[in-house]
Amino acid sequence: METKNQQGIVEVVSEKIWKFFSSVKLAVILLIILAIVSVIGTVIQQNQSPEEYLQEYTQGTVDLFETLGFFDLYHTWWFVLLLLLFTANLTVCTLERFPYAWKAMRAPLKPIEEDAVKALPFRKDVTLKTGVEQAESLVLAALGGKRYRTLVSKESGGTGIASQKGAFSRMGVYITHVSILLIFTGALIGAFFGYKGFLNIPEGEASAVVYLRNEPLWDKIMSGLGISKSPVSYVEGRVPALPLGFYVALQDFEVDYYVNQGRPTGMPSEYWSILSVYDQNRQKVLDKRIRVNDPLTHHGITFYQSSYGTIPNATGTVKLGIRPKTGGATETVEAKPGASVYVPSIDRTIRVTGVMPYGMRDPMSGRINFYQSRNDELINPVVDLEVFKGKSTQLLYRTQVMKIDSQEPNMPENYTIGYQDYWGVRYTGLQVTKDPGVWVVYLGFILLCVGPVIAFFGSHRKVWARIQEKNGQAVVLLAGSSNRNRIAFEREFARIAEDIAKK
Amino acid sequence: MESSLLFSIATVAYLLAMVMYISYVAFRKEGIGKAASFITYAGLLIQTAALVMRWVESYQMGIGRVPLSNLYESLVFFTWSTVLIYVVVEWKYKTRIFGAFVMPVAFLALAFINVAGISNDITPLVPALKSNWLFYHVLISFLGYAAFGVAFAISMIFLLIDMDERGPVRDLWYALVAIVVIAPIGYAMAAQGEHMKQAFWMGLGVVILAWFIYLVTRGAKNKPMVYLFWSFCVTLAISMLVAMGIDFLNMKGMPAGESFKKHLFEATFLNQSLPIALVSWAAVIGLFYAVWAKGIALKKVLTQYAPSQDILDDVTYRMIAIGWPLLTGGIITGAVWANSAWGTYWSWDPKETWSLITWFVYAIYLHARYVRGWKGTQMAVISAVGFLAVIFTYLGVNLVLSGLHSYGGMN
Repeated sequence: METKNQQGIVEVVSEKIWKFFSSVKLAVILLIILAIVSVIGTVIQQNQSPEEYLQEYTQGTVDLFETLGFFDLYHTWWFVLLLLLFTANLTVCTLERFPYAWKAMRAPLKPIEEDAVKALPFRKDVTLKTGVEQAESLVLAALGGKRYRTLVSKESGGTGIASQKGAFSRMGVYITHVSILLIFTGALIGAFFGYKGFLNIPEGEASAVVYLRNEPLWDKIMSGLGISKSPVSYVEGRVPALPLGFYVALQDFEVDYYVNQGRPTGMPSEYWSILSVYDQNRQKVLDKRIRVNDPLTHHGITFYQSSYGTIPNATGTVKLGIRPKTGGATETVEAKPGASVYVPSIDRTIRVTGVMPYGMRDPMSGRINFYQSRNDELINPVVDLEVFKGKSTQLLYRTQVMKIDSQEPNMPENYTIGYQDYWGVRYTGLQVTKDPGVWVVYLGFILLCVGPVIAFFGSHRKVWARIQEKNGQAVVLLAGSSNRNRIAFEREFARIAEDIAKK
Repeated sequence: MESSLLFSIATVAYLLAMVMYISYVAFRKEGIGKAASFITYAGLLIQTAALVMRWVESYQMGIGRVPLSNLYESLVFFTWSTVLIYVVVEWKYKTRIFGAFVMPVAFLALAFINVAGISNDITPLVPALKSNWLFYHVLISFLGYAAFGVAFAISMIFLLIDMDERGPVRDLWYALVAIVVIAPIGYAMAAQGEHMKQAFWMGLGVVILAWFIYLVTRGAKNKPMVYLFWSFCVTLAISMLVAMGIDFLNMKGMPAGESFKKHLFEATFLNQSLPIALVSWAAVIGLFYAVWAKGIALKKVLTQYAPSQDILDDVTYRMIAIGWPLLTGGIITGAVWANSAWGTYWSWDPKETWSLITWFVYAIYLHARYVRGWKGTQMAVISAVGFLAVIFTYLGVNLVLSGLHSYGGMN
C-alpha cells in the first residue's frame, strides 16, 4: 500500500493505460470489431448521392445512417478512433515485447551448464572412437555445415561448444508491426498534406487549378485556426479549386478501340493524352503522353488518365493527310467542318462538308452505315469531303474518309486524302492527386512483404555440445532449442548428430 | 485452340488422380498411391503448359495479356495453384492422404469449367487492367487462396478426427429449423427491396459471427456443436460447387457480355421459379442431414490413415503461414496497381475490404497460436472460418455486394 501511495496518480493511471494497451487480447478484440464494422461499409454502398440513397432506403433509414456515418463509414470519427486504438495497441504491444526480443537476439553465445542441458527439449549423446580434439573439429564442421556460428570454450571437464543461427528472425514480428505503423503514418501524411482532385481539359486548352474532392487537412486546420489562409478558393455552388502553381495543357487526346474483323467495337483498348506543363511564365517545361497506368508527375502532383468525353456542341478541326499515290511525305492540312482549305501542292481546294462520329463501311456493298454512339463519342469518325479544282468552285469529286476503313475510299486523282484527327471536340478527364505520404506507405509495403516471411520461415536455433573423454572415447552431448518451427529443427538436430557420428 | 485441348487432358488426369487417391485411402496399396502422385504431377505439368500456351495464344491474337483476368481463367488458375501447393505438401510430408480431399476440389472445378463451357474466349481487357501489377496481384492472391484452401481441407480432416460422436439428433433439428425459418425470411425480406435484403444479410452475418465466436472460445467443450459446424462447412463447400456447376450448365445460352456474377445461383437457390428454389434448398438440407448423419463414419477411415492430429495441426499452421504472406502480397500488389492506375492505393471498395477482413481472420489465427499458444480444435475452427471469408471475398462480394472488380464476370 505504501509503495502505491508513493506513486503519483499520473503514474498509476498511465501504468493502467499502458497495461490496457499492451494486451494481445485487446488486439484480437479490435481486429474482430474492425472486421465487423468494415462489413457494414461493404453492405451499404459508400459515398452515393442523397437521391440514390433515397431510392434504396426510406427517409428515416437515410437519416439514421447519416447520423451514424454509415454512408462514409471509413472516414467517420469513430472508425478513425478504432484505427487509432489499434495503432496504440500495436505500438504498445511492440514496445512491450521488443526489448526482450532484442536482448534474445543480441545475447552473446555462452557455454551451457551441464544441468541446463537437461532442461533443453532436444538432446542426444554421440560416442566417438576418436580423441577429444578430433571430436571437437567434427562437431564444429557439422555445425558449420548448417551455418551455425560457434563459440568454443575449454572447461575443466572437457570442451564446450555453443552455437546459434537465425537470431535475426526474432525481428520478423517487429518488422511486420512497424510496417503496419508505417502504412498508417503514410496514410496520415497523405490526409494532412495531400489531396485528391480532378480536372477535365478540352483539347487545346490549359488549366492552372485543380478541383478538389478533399482538401488537405493541414490547410483546413490552419485556416480554421486563423493561422494561415487556405490556398483553396471557394466559390458558392462550385467545387473548391486549388492553384497548381503551373499550367497543364492538353495538346491532343486519342482513343484506340478494339477492332473485330476490321471494325471498331466501341470498346476502348487504350486512351491517352498528350499533356504539356508550362511554368508561371508560360514557358514549356515538359511534354508527356499519359495513359491509364502511366501517369505524369510534376512537383509532387500526379495526373492520372481517368476518363474522357466529347464536348457538347463543339466544333473542332479536321486534320487530313495528303499523300501522292507515287509515294512520298504526307502533308497535313486542317479545316473546320463547313470550311475549305486550298492545298497548293496538289492545286486543289478541299471542303469539309460534315463529320459523323461513328460510321462503318459495309464490306459487301461498300456503303457506309452510321451508328449512334453515346454522347457522340468519336468511335470511328467519318468525314465528308468535296474537292474543287484550284481555288475555283468547280467540283471535281466527293468522297468520304474515316479513321478505320475496310476499303480504299474513292480517290480518283494521283494523291490520297487520309483521315488523321478530329481535334478540339474531346476533353480528357484527369484524376489529380498529391500524396506526399505514399513513399512511407510503400516502404511499409516492402517491410510488410519481408517481415512475415522472416517471422514464419526463420527461427532462432541454438545448439550446444559438451565433449568429454570417457574410457579413451570422446562422448559428445548435444542439446538444442529453437524458438519456432520445432519439427524442422528436430530434423536438423538429428542430421547434425548423424553428421558427427558418421565420421 | 490448342490450350483448350490441354486443359481437357489435365482435367482427365485430375479425375484419374482423384479416383486413385480415394482408392489409395480405401485399399492402402503403395502402388496405387505412387500412380496417383505420378498422374497428378503429369496433370500439373500439362496444365502449366496449357496456361503458358493460352498466354502465347493471346499474343498471337494481338491482345497480348496474362491469362488471369476473367472467371474462366481465374478458376483454372485457382485449380492449378491448389494442385501445385498440394504437390509440395505431399512431397514435404510424405503423405498422400490429403490427395483424396484436395484432388476432388481441383477436378470438380476444372470439370465444371469444361463441361459448362464457360466462355473461354480470350477477351480484350479494359485499359485499367493492362498492368503488370494485375498479373502479380492475381497470381499472388490465388496462390494464397490455394494455400488457405489446403489449410481448410486439412482442418476439416482434423475436426472430424477430433469428434467423439455426432451428438443428439436434437442438435440437427435446431439447425434444420434455423435454415427452414431463415431462408424464407431472407426471400421475404429481399422481396421488400434492397434495404431489407441488406438488413437480412447483416442480421444473418451477426448470427453467424456470434456462432463462430462461440465455437472458437467454447468449441473445445462442445464437440457436438463443432461437429455441426463441420457438417455446415462440408455442406456449404459441396453445395456451392454443385450449384455453381448447375449455373454454368444453365448459362450456355446466356447472352454474351452479360456478367456472370449477376447470375450466380440463379439456376438453383435464387431461381425465379419458387418450386425450383425450394427443391434446391431442400436438397441442401438433405445434404446437410446426410453429411451430419454419415460424416462421423468417415472418422474411422481417417483415424486409420491420416497423420496424427499434431501433424495435421502443424500442416494447417504451415499452410496459413504460407497463405498469409501471400494474401498480404496480393493485397499490396493490388494497392500498388490501384495507385498506379488512379492514384489511390486504398479506396475501401468491398472486394478490398473483404480481403482485409480475411487478412484479419488469419492474423487472429496467427496471434492466437503464437502469443496465446492455442492449438487444436479452436485453431481448426478459425482456419475454417478464414476460408469461408476467402470464399466470400472471391464469390460472395460479387454475389451479394457490388464492387469495382471485373474478373468475377462471365466474360
